[in-house]
Amino acid sequence: MTRLNARDKRSGMLPYLLLLPVLVFAVIFKLYPIFYSFVSGFQFKGAVSLRTYELMFADKTFWNSVSVTVKMNLIMTPLQIILSLIMALMVNANLKGIGVYRSVYYLPVTISMPVAAICFSMILSYNNGVANTILGSFGVPVQGFFNDKTQAMACIIALCTWKGCGYWMMFYLAGLKGIDDSLYEAATVDGAGYFAKLFHVTLPMLRRTTLFVIVADTSTNLLLFAPMKLITDGGPRSTTDVLMYEAYRQAFKYGNYSKGSAITSVLIVIILLVVLLEFRMMADRDR
Amino acid sequence: MKTKKILSRACLIAVLLVLAVIALFPILYPLMSSFRTDQEIYKYSTVFSVNTLWPVEWTAQAYLSLFTEYHFARFFINTLIVVGTILPVSIIMCSVAAYAFTFYHFHGQKVLYTLLLLTFMVPGEAIALPLYQVISGLGMVNTFSSMILPSLANGLTLFMYCQTFKDVPDALLEAAEIDGASWLTCYARIVMPLCVPTTIAMCLMTFVNEWNNYLWPLLAARKDEVKTITVAITAFKEENVIHWNLIYSSSMLSAIVPILLFLPFQKFFVSGIAAGSVKG
Repeated sequence: MTRLNARDKRSGMLPYLLLLPVLVFAVIFKLYPIFYSFVSGFQFKGAVSLRTYELMFADKTFWNSVSVTVKMNLIMTPLQIILSLIMALMVNANLKGIGVYRSVYYLPVTISMPVAAICFSMILSYNNGVANTILGSFGVPVQGFFNDKTQAMACIIALCTWKGCGYWMMFYLAGLKGIDDSLYEAATVDGAGYFAKLFHVTLPMLRRTTLFVIVADTSTNLLLFAPMKLITDGGPRSTTDVLMYEAYRQAFKYGNYSKGSAITSVLIVIILLVVLLEFRMMADRDR
Repeated sequence: MKTKKILSRACLIAVLLVLAVIALFPILYPLMSSFRTDQEIYKYSTVFSVNTLWPVEWTAQAYLSLFTEYHFARFFINTLIVVGTILPVSIIMCSVAAYAFTFYHFHGQKVLYTLLLLTFMVPGEAIALPLYQVISGLGMVNTFSSMILPSLANGLTLFMYCQTFKDVPDALLEAAEIDGASWLTCYARIVMPLCVPTTIAMCLMTFVNEWNNYLWPLLAARKDEVKTITVAITAFKEENVIHWNLIYSSSMLSAIVPILLFLPFQKFFVSGIAAGSVKG
């Protein structure tokens, strides 16, 4: 990473000065808040105490949020990864005008999650929503979608998959472009068909990309917030009340900042574990 | 053999088209609806027909009233103030730091680099709540500073520049230094002009990320005077549930900016994503 040359001896304090602004801002607005959330989670009515955590771990709402978060991620992340891989394989085809499809699939990524959530909530509204109008023309009765406790989570997963797949597709596309053509030629000579090549050449070669996408997608999905804030409010019947939203609700709706901090700390610990995994993977790659 | 190939091509195109419709519908339908009146949207929502999707009478009334009645110009200006400050400051600050990391050798370099890398890997949303308490301790809630300051140090920009700077030939800098050039001259005259594609990619990424930012401005800037566009349209949706065309048009207004930036500059977005994380 670093170059050794004449500049090293004469530079003195200069490199530290150049780094100073970024360091100061990173410490105040990134590192300190992380510490702060751990510390304030251990405070209860002004004194140092484990009470907040005791209360949190005894709280049914908290455990419901844990299970909703885990359930949502277990469905959503694999779904998004498989779909984006399939999409990448398709837009990697040698076809005239394939670039147009690539741009179209990426378009949902560029608009913001709140806008996407608003559009989905109106399209999927149980009351005058166009999805119900279209389904109605096939004789399907009116669906509740976000208002139905059996469908709300599925609708949020659909929304996030719609918005997210184009993004992960681009990583897979970059990975696919990096695979040496000679591997495929060799496989063709050996008489391998499309699926044999897919499973024995493409997928093994995409292992690193997949690892990265799994980690990055998981941390994105764990922090999902806008759809719950804008559409479901964690409901119906807390079926979409993920940890991130519960932390927000505790802090800003009920004014219980220490509980919000405690939930945030749990999330940060999970994210840090995911980050460390990512870090290990990067170290492996550099080797 | 040949018919099999044509058949698989046809299947591929069919699937591509279906996916394209799924990708586009949730954007195009709101776009169409934003150009019609409320009455029209309701009228054709009970029984499906072409008019459910396609406006009978086109009108830009919704867009007009967003600006005349609901002060949307204010929110646009606010967003531009925030993004317009973050963009240059963040790019300069992070590229200078990357310059120090790449072209100098100093004590604690590895530790600092690792520490920053780890810190920036924690996504902003995860620390939004504690950050709010820090900001409110500093008395900065409902100010532009609260939205600008936390976004200045940007990990992606820093590491992208580190990656790009590695490819700058050392001989160029050495020659300049023999001529007595200062670090500022080397940075501004030699290194940065060589990294224009990275700068464009990072400007675009930063712009779109800030434009689309939601959770943080929602917490930090709740007054109309400082509200940004994304927060404004969501608040607007909650307050005006019955005016569907207004909700659609405000959403489209906010979506159109990143889409218009993406279409001509696709290449830079893709390089931004690919390099940003695959390379680390």
